[in-house]
Amino acid sequence: MRSSVKGRGNVAATADDTAQHSDPPASSPTRRRRRMGPVAMVVSFFGELLITAGLVLGLFVVYSLWWTNVVADRAADKQADKVRDAWAQESDEGGSSGGPASYDSKNGVGFLHVPAMTGDEILVEKGTSMKVLNDGVAGYYTDPVKATLPTSGEKGNFSLAAHRDGHGAKFHGIHKIEKGDPIVFETKDTWYVYKTYAILPETSKYNVDVLGKIPKESGRKKAGHYITLTTCTPVYTSKYRYIVWGELARTEKVDQDRTPPAELR
Amino acid sequence: MYSWIWRHLPGNGWVRALISLVLIVAVVYVLFQYVFPWAEPLLPFNDVTVDNQ
Repeated sequence: MRSSVKGRGNVAATADDTAQHSDPPASSPTRRRRRMGPVAMVVSFFGELLITAGLVLGLFVVYSLWWTNVVADRAADKQADKVRDAWAQESDEGGSSGGPASYDSKNGVGFLHVPAMTGDEILVEKGTSMKVLNDGVAGYYTDPVKATLPTSGEKGNFSLAAHRDGHGAKFHGIHKIEKGDPIVFETKDTWYVYKTYAILPETSKYNVDVLGKIPKESGRKKAGHYITLTTCTPVYTSKYRYIVWGELARTEKVDQDRTPPAELR
Repeated sequence: MYSWIWRHLPGNGWVRALISLVLIVAVVYVLFQYVFPWAEPLLPFNDVTVDNQ
């Protein structure tokens, strides 16, 4: 109110000066814009909140699909190096005793190679909690059904889980695995070569039977050396689970140079 | 909200732009480091195991 009165007074006083004449009307709209009415202020604040929420959600997508991979791959590489170093150390000392540098399963039990899915090796660790899997590794089940490790030599199911997206996304390409494709598990001194024989592209997340010692849904009735890969499907969601079953075809001793078996060459 | 922050930043336009940039980076850092890792397990996008719970 006061400014407009003053403006009018200015115009009256210096009617011949065009610069002064145009000044007050130019500054008063900006003033009026800054001093918005309460309704406009609330609407504008709410609008900015919505824009902010949109940006945060967009950032969350960036975080989920990119940043978690960066972090997980870094962690997985570090742990894989540790396992490789421990193996190298053990075989250096192990010629005579093999005892002292006791093998710590906390760091991982071996590496999974699935050439049909990814060219990278996947470190396998104990457990399928988010804490384990978020490090960009595959975990073998301890709950609800305990996995049978191939190193135990017993018949059973070596059941594994890993992320489909984010956190390393190690099983991202699981849909590329076809029947007959090799799944190779590498330990310190043995290559376990499995052959894919059944795929279940969609099942309920409560279907724990797929982890059974004899996974009946895969069509097998007898006890054997099985491997089960589980992850979520469809991509970018966790609605269902994708299952791939393999059966041990043969084992191969690891030689001096760790020459990979024919399936990986 | 944002114009209010802009008006309350010190210095001229360049200084304000620089401070804004630093603030944005700080906010993104806090989101990536603390907020998203906390929120992620609460959202149903990344469960990969079969479970009977």
